[in-house]
Amino acid sequence: MLDTVPAAVPSSDLSASDRPPLHAATWIVWAAAAVVSVQLAPNVLYASLILLVTVLVVEVHGRRTGLARAFPLFVALGAGFGLLRVVLTVATTHGIGTPLATVPHIDLPRILGGFRVGGTLERQVLGQAVADALVIVVVIAVFGAWNAVVSHHEVLQSTPRAFHELGLVVTIALAFVPSTLAALRASRESDRARTGGVIVRRGRLVRHAVPVLESGMERAVALAESMDARGFGHRPSGRGERIAAVATLGGLLGLGGAFVALVGGAHLAAAISGGIGLMLVITAIASASSAAKRVRYRPRRLTALDGRVMAAVLVAPLGLAVISSLGDHSLTWVPTGTSLPPFHPLVVVMLLALTTPACVGRAVS
Amino acid sequence: MNLTRVRPVLVYALVVVVGAAAFLWPFFLAGHALPNQAHSGDAPLWAALVGAAVVAAVALEVRQGTMTGTTVAMLGVLSAAAGLMRLLALPGGGNGIYFLVILAGVAFGPRFGLLLGLLAMAVSAVITGGIGPWLPFQMLALSWMGAGAGLLGRFTRRLAPSAEVGVLAAYGWAWAFIYGAILNLWFWPFQVDGGALSYSPHLSAGETLHHYWAFYVASSFAWDAAGAAANAILIVLTGRAVLRSLRRFAGRLDPIVELEPLGGTAQPRVREVVPG
Amino acid sequence: MTSAPIRHAPAAAGTLVYEGTGFAYPEGPPALRAIDLDVAAGELVLVIGGSGSGKSTLLRCANGLVPHSSGGRFSGSVHVGGRSTRTHRPRELADLVGFVHQDPEAQFVVDHVETDLAFVLENLGTDARAMRRRVEEVLDALAIAHLRDRSPATLSGGERQRCAIAGALASAPAVLVLDEPTSQLDPQGADDVLAALARLNADLGTTIVLAEHRLERAAPLADRAVLVAGGAIAATGSPGAMLADYEGAPPVTHLGRLLGWTPLPLTVRDARTHAAAGAPPLVPPAPADPAHGPTVISARGLSVAIDGHSVLQRIDIDFAEGEIVALLGRNGSGKTKLLRTRAGLLRSAGGTSARAKSTRIAYVPQDPNSLLFASTVAEELTATLRLLDRRDPEAVEIWLQRLHLLDARDRHPRSLSGGERQRVAIAAVAVGGAEVLLLDEPTRGMDAMSRAALEAAIRTHAEQGGTVVLATHDVELAARSASRAVVIGDGDIVADGPARDVLSGSLFAPQVVRVLPPFLTVDEVARSLAAVAAATRGPGA
Repeated sequence: MLDTVPAAVPSSDLSASDRPPLHAATWIVWAAAAVVSVQLAPNVLYASLILLVTVLVVEVHGRRTGLARAFPLFVALGAGFGLLRVVLTVATTHGIGTPLATVPHIDLPRILGGFRVGGTLERQVLGQAVADALVIVVVIAVFGAWNAVVSHHEVLQSTPRAFHELGLVVTIALAFVPSTLAALRASRESDRARTGGVIVRRGRLVRHAVPVLESGMERAVALAESMDARGFGHRPSGRGERIAAVATLGGLLGLGGAFVALVGGAHLAAAISGGIGLMLVITAIASASSAAKRVRYRPRRLTALDGRVMAAVLVAPLGLAVISSLGDHSLTWVPTGTSLPPFHPLVVVMLLALTTPACVGRAVS
Repeated sequence: MNLTRVRPVLVYALVVVVGAAAFLWPFFLAGHALPNQAHSGDAPLWAALVGAAVVAAVALEVRQGTMTGTTVAMLGVLSAAAGLMRLLALPGGGNGIYFLVILAGVAFGPRFGLLLGLLAMAVSAVITGGIGPWLPFQMLALSWMGAGAGLLGRFTRRLAPSAEVGVLAAYGWAWAFIYGAILNLWFWPFQVDGGALSYSPHLSAGETLHHYWAFYVASSFAWDAAGAAANAILIVLTGRAVLRSLRRFAGRLDPIVELEPLGGTAQPRVREVVPG
Repeated sequence: MTSAPIRHAPAAAGTLVYEGTGFAYPEGPPALRAIDLDVAAGELVLVIGGSGSGKSTLLRCANGLVPHSSGGRFSGSVHVGGRSTRTHRPRELADLVGFVHQDPEAQFVVDHVETDLAFVLENLGTDARAMRRRVEEVLDALAIAHLRDRSPATLSGGERQRCAIAGALASAPAVLVLDEPTSQLDPQGADDVLAALARLNADLGTTIVLAEHRLERAAPLADRAVLVAGGAIAATGSPGAMLADYEGAPPVTHLGRLLGWTPLPLTVRDARTHAAAGAPPLVPPAPADPAHGPTVISARGLSVAIDGHSVLQRIDIDFAEGEIVALLGRNGSGKTKLLRTRAGLLRSAGGTSARAKSTRIAYVPQDPNSLLFASTVAEELTATLRLLDRRDPEAVEIWLQRLHLLDARDRHPRSLSGGERQRVAIAAVAVGGAEVLLLDEPTRGMDAMSRAALEAAIRTHAEQGGTVVLATHDVELAARSASRAVVIGDGDIVADGPARDVLSGSLFAPQVVRVLPPFLTVDEVARSLAAVAAATRGPGA
């Protein structure tokens, strides 16, 4: 057992010793700001700028772990995905723009959607499809970057205490990943050893899976004993838990009400009901957290630096919202011809606010 | 009416309704219902926020039951295994995660299935670096799959083992399509361009459904069909053995403790049943 | 309460009292019957008994894991520090009782040593500053401060187990309960763990209840030993007295019993004193018969590298028919790698190897759990035959009988003890009919009964023309069964020769040879005594 510890395991990603300079919450704010910004300014030029910002951020803060190294893969995956959608859209959308080319077509029967594949390929459709696909690529890239820069250990540590038990499940699961991999390897090897090297494919899945599962479950029972013996166990009790229970119900009713109001076209009522719903869910989380009588060991706290970075990063979406409400059309420009995309220097400055985390060096750790 | 009795049922029902509404809004919200048509592209992000709130509500609700070390440890081990299964190179994109969630739901009941669905997806997102606005939808969809399997398991446990595996394989097969369709739905409205496959806020519900069906057929039907077949085959091949293994541990999840009275010969057993 | 320093645990808190305790697992026969046991504060009690005797259940009663976590019927009472486990669940006793399990891998909640230590304190709601100090204290108490930022998955077994003990100790419990904490460890790791326990008991006055099978190290530490058999306490008394008739006693104790030494020695040191005072006249054992059958496997210049890291360097080795070879060496020396290369599980990087045409090789992995998948023991054996497309019901019966598994044939392999599972795994591999059996650390976690069955089975296999290769840390196993011993160090063969010659070297000496050289085992001494007796009786008759 001692010499079966796998060489490269995801758990090494979770070592707390390698502390990133910014708090995980700061990074969440950054990712949200970037995603909202690209939604507000889907202009190809601006979207590309945000994509460059994510690359820069990963360049500066990417952790030397498997997940961080996967960032380019993540972006490539998003790009492939976007390309697929462009092809799909251009091949199936007809009659709204200037034809670029005409290719052979087939018409699908109604049961399979009844649309035409091929036929005229149109310039406006292509432009719109590229612009839309770029937005998806940027959203995926932003979260790819987020995954590359945060310590997941820290993310779990900073979940609200109300979610402690569920966070703990994820923590335990991550700790079990290497041993599950090792067990899988061992059972594959044992299966070959059993027959003296003869490989029998028939029924192999069961012979490989069952020992891993059974050993895992046995280990779960042992771990459960260790946890019980170390004082673990949650039972709902107290006023905070009761408030949380009622607020949860209220929150869901509020969200449901918002949908009902939207169907009826009552926008204001929907906004109010939805807002109340979200507030109640947040109240429930807060009161359940304060009811939990647990103390965190060496929690990571937000620093003044985190606060400054968050404030700087929020400039981008807030500024864009203001520009958008003033009716600037350069924000949502779509490439349809040969003309260059318009851009506004002020918008570029706003977007550059998203690079603030990259200005904070790694050296802080 | 007793609120403590009714509340959990109400919460779970609302979770399904509100969660489904967050998934399915393109079908029932006609164009005029959207607050700001210029920003209808933001709608998926609002939907993701609602999805996250629903996941939070589920997480808060399960707290109202007891979380013992056994529940937490078993969930941890199984979500590690299920999360890793997602990395398997199966046809249909490594959706091996379904099969363990379904079988564990059947063996340990709806609550466990629901929790395992949520957490297995969260773990696999951490392992693969897939945390993003799509995650709440994946978590909810998988938790419904698990909870549904738990409810189904209450009936199938009376069947002969091979019949049970057959029913579960069919369930897994069908869910692969539902899951695929639900997940495409969250980013589908990102693209608004008047094509035959695209979402548009101006369409009626019927037209939207038609456009979506066309989109689904074109983009992921074949992929999901492969996944569904892989799912069903996995359950058929391993279902019996895996269920037998899992069921051996079902008693641990809610232990029944009988304390015999001290020094007494009479046996009015104190039954201490931990609510599962 | 938890902010009090470790040393000042109130004396009364350390008491543990069983009164008429009985227990049965759900749908199972009684596992414990009318246990009466009174452990005083600060006492170190050793619990001994075979697998399935009820030791583990007895220990789990101390903090209410039985019956609250296991489920089942509980009668009588257990009081720890005055609290009854009938009314207090394990989590309400966490400040009073620490519990350590035999599997060092299954006790970590968090993938980070320091954070894991704080788990119990977080659960108890200890305030942040006290928590911080307590963690530092236990890091020092177990001498693991240098491991604080490591992931448990990267630690050795001994280090992991010490971290697990620290985790149990973080709440400053007055009682520490350990269920075979060293059974999965190599000798060095086991020594480290037991030394740490001795220190805790002596310095902090922690009451310790310890189930253990490495009695040579554990017995001298104990104030008292309790023998459990059939779910009841068979006897209790001083460790020396308790081991006198105990099957699982260390070899020196068996030797002392044979030679009539009083008091019975528990350690090599005690035994040497006796031996120096006067050993009986003995005829030295005859040199082992070097005649073996033809060579069945040979390797020349065998090298193995893993991830570009050389683990075996140009090794020449032969195995002959009828041989039992012990491969010895510290952890990571390459023993397991050599076996796995021979079994075809690892690819060699260079060198040639040959085996006789029809020779088949089978390998039993260290962890039997990776092999067992069937729902009964007998099915586990027939599964192997089915995989090899053979039907041989007789072979199944032969191996079940050789490894003393006939009684367990219809049981679920996973319901058996570790030692029994290991035997099932060996039977499941051996039933395939391979001439060469490679066993990796076969005695880990085995009780005396299982070991005896295993040793007999491998001797029978060798006598019938088979070959057995054992990679092991267990020098007593090597001394009792091997005809030849090979020592591997840092990827090289350091020594290779008859077992007696190699094992008499200081590093890997079994207990008996250290007391009465050149004898390796108690059996040899007994045979020699009998020979001497026959010789002295002979002329007189």
